[in-house]
Formats: sequence, structure tokens, C-alpha cells
Amino acid sequence: MEKTTHHLNPEDLLSAANQARWELGVNFHDDIIESVYEDATRIARKTVRQKDENAAYRQDLKIDRIITSKWLGFPIMFLMLALVFWLTVAGANVPSGMLASLLIDTAHPWLKAGAAALHMPWWLDGVLIDGAYLSMAWVISVMLPPMAIFFPLFTLLEDLGYLPRVAFNMDSLFRKAGAHGKQALTLSMGFGCNAAGVIAARVIDSPRERLIAIITNNFSLCNGRWPTQILIATIFIGGLVPAAWAGLVSAGAVVGVAVLGIGFSLLVSWGLSKSVLRGEASTFSLELPPYRPPRILQTLYTSLIDRTVFVLWRAIVFAVPAGIVIWLVANVHVGGLSLAEHFIQATDPMALVFGLNGVILLAYIIAIPANEIVIPTILMLTVLSSSLGGLGAGSGVMFELDSIADTAQILQAGGWTVLTGVNLMLFSLLHNPCSTTIYTIYKETHSLKWTLVSTFLPIVLGLIVCFFTAQIWLLLT
Amino acid sequence: MNLPLSLTRFLLLNGPGYMLGYGLLAVAALFWVFWPGKGLWARLSRGHMNTQRVLLEDALKALFDFEYRRHPCELNSLAGNLNISLDKASRLVERLLQMGLISMAGQGLSLTDTGRSYALRVIRVHRIWERYLADETGVAQVDWHHEADRMEHQVSPEATDRLAAQIGNPVFDPHGDPIPSADGELPELRGKPLSQLREGDLGRIVHIEDEPKSIYEQLVVEGLYPGMPVYVTDVAENRITFATDGDECTLTHLFASHITVEMMPGKAPQRSKNALLSSLEVGESAEVAGISPNCRGQQRRRLMDLGIIPGTRIAAEVRSASGDPVGYRVMDTTIGIRKQEADLIFITRKTTSPHEHA
Amino acid sequence: MSTPNTCETCPVHHKANLQKLGLNLDNIDFVLALAGNPNTGKSTVFNNLTGLRQHTGNWPGKTVARAEGAYVYNDRRYKMVDLPGTYSLLSTSTDEEVARNFILFGQPDVTIIVADATRLERNLNLTLQILEITDRAVLCLNMMDETRRSNIEIDVRGLSKELGIPVIPASARRREGMDQLLAAVEEVASGTYVCRPHRIKSHSPKLNRAIANLASKLAVLYPDLPNAQWVALRLLEGDNSIMEAIRSGELGEIGTSVEPAQI
Repeated sequence: MEKTTHHLNPEDLLSAANQARWELGVNFHDDIIESVYEDATRIARKTVRQKDENAAYRQDLKIDRIITSKWLGFPIMFLMLALVFWLTVAGANVPSGMLASLLIDTAHPWLKAGAAALHMPWWLDGVLIDGAYLSMAWVISVMLPPMAIFFPLFTLLEDLGYLPRVAFNMDSLFRKAGAHGKQALTLSMGFGCNAAGVIAARVIDSPRERLIAIITNNFSLCNGRWPTQILIATIFIGGLVPAAWAGLVSAGAVVGVAVLGIGFSLLVSWGLSKSVLRGEASTFSLELPPYRPPRILQTLYTSLIDRTVFVLWRAIVFAVPAGIVIWLVANVHVGGLSLAEHFIQATDPMALVFGLNGVILLAYIIAIPANEIVIPTILMLTVLSSSLGGLGAGSGVMFELDSIADTAQILQAGGWTVLTGVNLMLFSLLHNPCSTTIYTIYKETHSLKWTLVSTFLPIVLGLIVCFFTAQIWLLLT
Repeated sequence: MNLPLSLTRFLLLNGPGYMLGYGLLAVAALFWVFWPGKGLWARLSRGHMNTQRVLLEDALKALFDFEYRRHPCELNSLAGNLNISLDKASRLVERLLQMGLISMAGQGLSLTDTGRSYALRVIRVHRIWERYLADETGVAQVDWHHEADRMEHQVSPEATDRLAAQIGNPVFDPHGDPIPSADGELPELRGKPLSQLREGDLGRIVHIEDEPKSIYEQLVVEGLYPGMPVYVTDVAENRITFATDGDECTLTHLFASHITVEMMPGKAPQRSKNALLSSLEVGESAEVAGISPNCRGQQRRRLMDLGIIPGTRIAAEVRSASGDPVGYRVMDTTIGIRKQEADLIFITRKTTSPHEHA
Repeated sequence: MSTPNTCETCPVHHKANLQKLGLNLDNIDFVLALAGNPNTGKSTVFNNLTGLRQHTGNWPGKTVARAEGAYVYNDRRYKMVDLPGTYSLLSTSTDEEVARNFILFGQPDVTIIVADATRLERNLNLTLQILEITDRAVLCLNMMDETRRSNIEIDVRGLSKELGIPVIPASARRREGMDQLLAAVEEVASGTYVCRPHRIKSHSPKLNRAIANLASKLAVLYPDLPNAQWVALRLLEGDNSIMEAIRSGELGEIGTSVEPAQI
């Protein structure tokens, strides 16, 4: 093929470039950057005059010396994070309740009445309103408020310049686990939402360490799981001690589970970097940006749009079909029993070996779109499978109770013990990521293999941990 | 009855003590099957690799290496190189002849054009993988070769081209060997073995042979790398002593023969040894003298982009709560750098104050 | 969206000739690229001009996708592409590749470089690299309000002379300097201001020879190419996008649409 009249074609050019590169040798790239900086320095010397000491830099440094100091660094960090979580959990209660009363207590009966007026067949009404709508309503009311608080707070810390200091402080811990210091950020982000944590792993350059951060993000106890932890801890752990101590002890148990999650995160990172993702921790060069006052309104707006709505939308997309499935398994009957009851009866004995029960297993399988709907699903299934009359809202209809004592009663009627409670807390920490996160992992890694590893590794770990907890417990009691 | 139920009943009958035992056994079995690299799963899937093909490709690579270094190759040397019996080697040669990949003149074996381009493809995959492992992953230096040896038989040239594109189409592997282009171009061999240098010679290491591993490991421990200037200070009967980056190093001729050096005109390298950035205490400042060539790829570029280049003032300003990394002030910005990286950055200590800006 | 002329004549509007268009990208006259180091307030400049609310954390590598927005200034419609914040354009990381390729292949009419005035030397690294690629750029010297606290004085005119492009001191957070920036961008876009960008010459002789050799070959193949030196340098670095563009012929299209479209 003739290209040009000059007897030169593009392939010749590329080949000439290759020859030149072989002649230039290994590190000529250094020469290029050095000459750019040489000019940069020369121009800066001509045009910039440092009149006196750089006071702004000095001041930032003073703050840094406190925030990263040996004695104060970690306490400040824990206080900041604890404050964020406390604000999230406490602040979300009221709006969550309002949303729930609007979407679930008010709109749901209204929709049901409307469906009845239209003479909608009972199964269509069940699938659409009790299944799809209710699960969507649930996800919105439980997920939206904490995220709408957590993400702006987190973004404020980020804009302020605090988060890079967290990575700076935590790096050595993660380096020892073969991971990257910035994993401290994806990990804390995961406390808000694992899907967001997985996306945040983009800030890690090295593909190996980024993958480790993605796979282990699920061990951060996300917003969706905090309510489960708090409820179960209040019922089963708080119930073990005098009422005066109950609040403190159950809060301690929840924090304990979260810390255990961090432990697993580091342990699994270490395990991965010693085996499948073998390698030394790579580079860490991180700019500690100057402190700048964050712009509160802008932060509120953007973190709501960029993170909260984005994640919420993905969750809704997955929650709707799951709601339909939840309704169907409770209402499709084969041989006199619903699919759910068949499954629960078949798996119950096996699940007991792990200190769990069939209801929990089924709930975790069908409530995969969002950890938020695990508790309502468990309650519905418990009522269904132990035929507790007069409770709940009918088969396939998820519900929750205002009174913790009533919830405890249902669970105890379903055969729950303290062990079941403890193991549910453990399993809630160590199980597959929600489908939103799984999908996000796939989008970020483009790899089916790593998506499957991220999905099943925590389940296997969870079952192992639950098994040993149950057996040691039984041995001791 | 169904299996899980009867199994469960059996387990429950035995009580928690036994259960724990079974549980431990089950976990152990899980590890035994899935342990990466050594587990049953890994071994079975390795068994799938076509050992015939591996041998064939290794033979082509070896033949190419002989040709590239202008050594003649016979059946004996091939068998020795591949570490297989003469018997097996002659069968292998038979096969290669049949496939038209090599030709034979008297005792001498040589590659045909088809064989050469096949060999170059395998070498390209190998060297690009080494480069990738060195630049982008944290795989230890002594494992690069071994890992790439595995990949070269598994990865397609197309996948390798994509990988190469991702890491900037490298033309040298981390041992200093040129990487053949996708069209099979490769530059002529440069340099000669370090063992042939004389006293007073000045050269630059262009290649460190990574086989056998035992010798390579030693050379890695000595801190030698491609691009390093060497100045021969003494040649004894079985020993050669040379200065590098201010350090002195003595090797036996056997070890020195595994290093290829390109002769350089000019003066001997500076004898003064540079201090490392990691030796800078908080509050001290210095001038960057350079980055060790052992800091490669993206890592090296990132440091340079952040302003770590010869001549820049650098001051240790703040230590992280856990002691490592340390924040260094470079061009009025604090950059956190781990001790591990700070060990790869050379500095010259100066007595000027840290806060001036010229 | 119609063009409300009332706004232009409205006396209280402090940027009399600016109208933010947000995401409305129709009938664009000029394309702008917005580049800069991380933490320089680049997205604040972007948001100020387009009226959008883009948030980018202060992490390199975070925004791999690029954001776009638009504004009208003096009846001309500008599209602004916010590139990922990077320290350099010479590495293989995705964000640098996105930024580099847009400036080269996207052929923006003007590239606005946002630099932190309190850390000029470090920011000049990226600035000089961008000036190697394009000869139409404006430097927005942001965070001027902080130079006082940093005890820094910058000779803005001297800097402009050294770089060969307009240099506009600004404080984007306080919305200061945006008028001048818009005017400078207009001048460069319309060709009223002709840039004489600083080019780097101090490579080693060996590298210079290799660059000159390849650049001469490039000049034969692609006579319209405005930045053959840079393309040659990138070829030596094994830049895959450029190698692909040579194979596909895309490189030949650069520089052929000589002047920006006039209305």
C-alpha cells in the first residue's frame, strides 16, 4: 500500500520511534521531567518573591503537627469518626420515622384501598403494592436519611482537608497488611455505603491495592446494617445486663462489631496480599493539601446529588424486583406450604449448626438488594413460619414494630436465643455485599472473577465465624 | 431422608466438642483445596497447562538467546539450558524440526524465520510481563522472572499488546533487556560481560541475567540494577572490584559474567555516597540528589511530578501518628512519603536554612 | 433556552456580559478545556462560569470522567470541558491520559490553566507541559487572596511575558477576576491575542537529536501538525493514543481545521 510521495509511511515512523527509544536507554523520562522543572524553577525565581516566611504554610503545619501527633492523632480521628456516626444514627431517626409513616403507614394502606376499589386481583395487588412498592418505600425511608447526613458530613471533612491526614496517619497499619494508606478512606466511606466505598477506591493508583480495597470494603459496617445491629444488640445483648447498663452495653456491642469489621478488613487484606494478590505494598505519595474552609451549601448540594441520590437510585432499582420475589416466596404455595416455609424447614437444621436459623438464611438471600430490608423480612418470615396469629401484616408483607419489646417477643417466639442474636450480628457483618455493591464492584473491576470473590469470600468467612461461635458457645453453656 | 438433614442429625448427636473438631477439619480442608499457588485447586489447574507447549516455547527461547549472544547451539547445550535429559532433548529437537521451527546444519541448531518470530513473540510476552510486574505491582524483584515465565505460555500476544499499551509500550524490561516490538524488531546486543572489563574501565550496566535464580538473588542483594554506572577499581585473579554510586562491590568472575556492561567514555562516578531522604529528621532540610533506579514506573514518575527532582529543596516537617510516613515539604506543599520510598531518594545535606525560597 | 438580552443590559449584574448556560451545549462557538493541578480551585472556576455545581474531591484520580458546561459571553457561546486535576501530563495513569488526549485531539480553542498562586513553581510544571501541546492558553492564577498570608508577591506581567500567554490573577472563591478571565479567553479564542507559548529546550543533546529526527519525519507526514515536537516526545514515551492515532490517520486531522469557527 502506497502512502505518501515521500516514501515514508506511518509504520516507518513508529519503527523509527522504537529504534530511538532503544538507543535512548532506560531512564530518559527523568530527563524530560527535569527539564520541565528546570524551566519552571527558573520562571518562578524570576517572577515570584517570597517576602517573608510563608505564614499560611506554617499555620497549616502547626495544625498538622497536632492532628498527626503520636498522642493526639488517633484519638482525634476516632472522635471525629464517632461524631460523624453518632450524628448520622441519631439524626436519621426522626426523618426516617417521618418517611416511614408517610410512605409505609399512610401511602401503603391508601394504595391498598385504591387497588381494592379498582377490583385489582389479589395477587397483582400483592406483587405490586405489598412486594414492589413496599420494598422500595422501605429502602427509601431507611436508607435516605442516614445517607443524606453521612455523605455531606464526610464530604465536609474531605473538603476541609482532614481526610488525607487520616490516610497519612493510618498508612502504616494498612502497609503492614499489604494495602494502601488510602484504603483508610475507602474503609471509612464504606461505613456510609459500601457501593460508595468501592467507587472511592479509584483514588488508589496501584491496581493490586485498589482491588484489595474493593474486596475488603464490605467489612465496613455500612449504614444499612447499623439499624439491624442496634436493634438486635438492644434486644439480646442489652437484655443480658441490668436495664441501667443496657444502653451502654448494647452500644458497646455494636461498636465492637464495627471494630471487628475493621479487623477483618485488615486481616483479609493481609491474607490477599500474601496469596492471590501477592505483592509488597506499593507507593505512597500523598499530598497533604492546605486546609481550606469548606463551602457548606455547595457541599450539601453536591454530596446529595453526586453520592446520595446516585446510590439511592441504584438501591431502588434492585429493591423493586426483590420486593416482588419476597412477596412471591411467601405466597406461592406448593403442597400446602409456601416456598418460604419449604426453604425454612429444609435449611433450619443445617442453619442451627451455624447458630442461625432458616429464616435468617432466607432473609439474607432474598433481601440481597439492601441490608435495610433484612429485619422487616425476618419479622415477616418469622411470623409466617411459626404461625404467630394476629401479628404482622400478612404473608409477604414486610413490617417492623415500633416497640422493641414486641419485636423481641416475635423473635423469641420464633425460637431465637442470645446465640442467634450474636450470630445474626456477626453474619450481618460477614455476608455478601448487597446487590448494589456487587453491581458496583463489577462496574469498577470489569471482572466477573473478582466480583465473585468479593461476593462469596465474606459469606464463607461469615459461616466459619458463626459456626465456631455457635459451637464454642454450646460447649461452654 | 434428605442428606443435609441426616448429616446434621449425625453432627448434632456428637455434641459441640466433636463439632468443633469437624469444623476445624472442614476449614483445614478448605485451605488445602483453595490455598493459592499450592492448594489442590491451583495444582489441578496448573496440570491443565500444556507441558509440551511450555517445553517447546522454552526451547525456542533458549535457541534465540544463543543466537542473540552469537553462541553456537548444539543438542548438548540445549539440553543443559533447559535442564532436561539428552534423550528428551533429541525428541524435542525432532519435533521442532518437523514443525519447521528450527533447522540443523551438522551439529548446530538454528532457528528458522518462523521459529525466530515465534520465539520473539514469547520473549515479548515475557519481558512485558516483567516490566509490568516491576512497574505496576508490588511483586518482589526475585519473583518477576518466575512469574513472567508462567505468563509467557498463558497470555496471548493480543492481551500482552493491550497490557503494553497500558504501561506506555515499554522497550526495556527491568533487567535492561530490550523488548521485541510487536513486529519482531529487536536491537543488536550491546555491551560485554562485566568479567571482561579491566582496571580503570568505566561502563554502565545494561543487563543483569536473571537465571539461575540463586546468582540473580545475590546480585539483587548487592543492589545492582540496569543503568547503574560501574568503575572498575581492581581486577584480581578470580575477583573484580568496582565502584558504583559511591559504594564498592566485589564479585567473583562467575557472578560478574552475569552482568552485561556497556562501555562509557568519561570520568569515574563520584566517590561520595549520598544520604537517604529517610535519614532526614523532622525539622531538617536538604537538597534532592536523585531517585534510585530501583524506584520504577508509575511510582518514580509520581515522585518526580510531585517535585522530587535533583536540586529541589526538601525538608522533613511532620511525622504521621504511627511514625511512618513522614510529611516532607517540597515547593511549599507537604507530601507524605513512606520510609520505604524515602529509602530510594538520595539527598545532599546542606547547611542553609529550610525556609528560604531564593 | 432563549437569550435574554435584559440580562446583558441589566446594570446590577456585575458580569454584564456573562450568561451561565449550565448543561445547555447547543450551537457552541468555542470549546474550552479547563486544566490544573488538584487542589487549585479548578472546579470553583468551572462552577462560577457555567453555573453548574461540580464537586471534585481533592484527590488525583478521582474524577476520571470529564464534566462539561457552557456559558455565553459577548454573544459567543462557549463550551467548557473540565479535565481531571493532575500534577503532570506525562504519566500513564488514566486521568492524565484523559486530560492529555483532550488537549491534543479535542483541539480546544483555548485551554484555561488554573494554578495555585501560592504554589506557583509546582503548578508551572503542568502549565509548561500544556504549553508544549497547545499554543492557545490562558493561565488563571487562582487563590491570589491567599498570597498575602503566604507573604508571596507575583510579577504577573513578567509571568505572562515568560509564558507567552495571558495571566489573570483571580480568587475564584470570592468570584474575583472572573471578568478578566472571560475577556482574556475571548481575546485568545478570537485571535485578538496571539500567544507565543514558552517551549522547553533544555533536554539532553541525545534526546534533542531523537526528538528533532522524529519531528522532521512527522512534519513530512503531517505538515499541518502544530506541535510536532510534543508528538515526537510522546512517541518516544510510547504513548499509545498517539501511536493509534498515527495508525488510524487521526493524527493527520489535527491542525487542519485551522482557525476557530467564526459566527
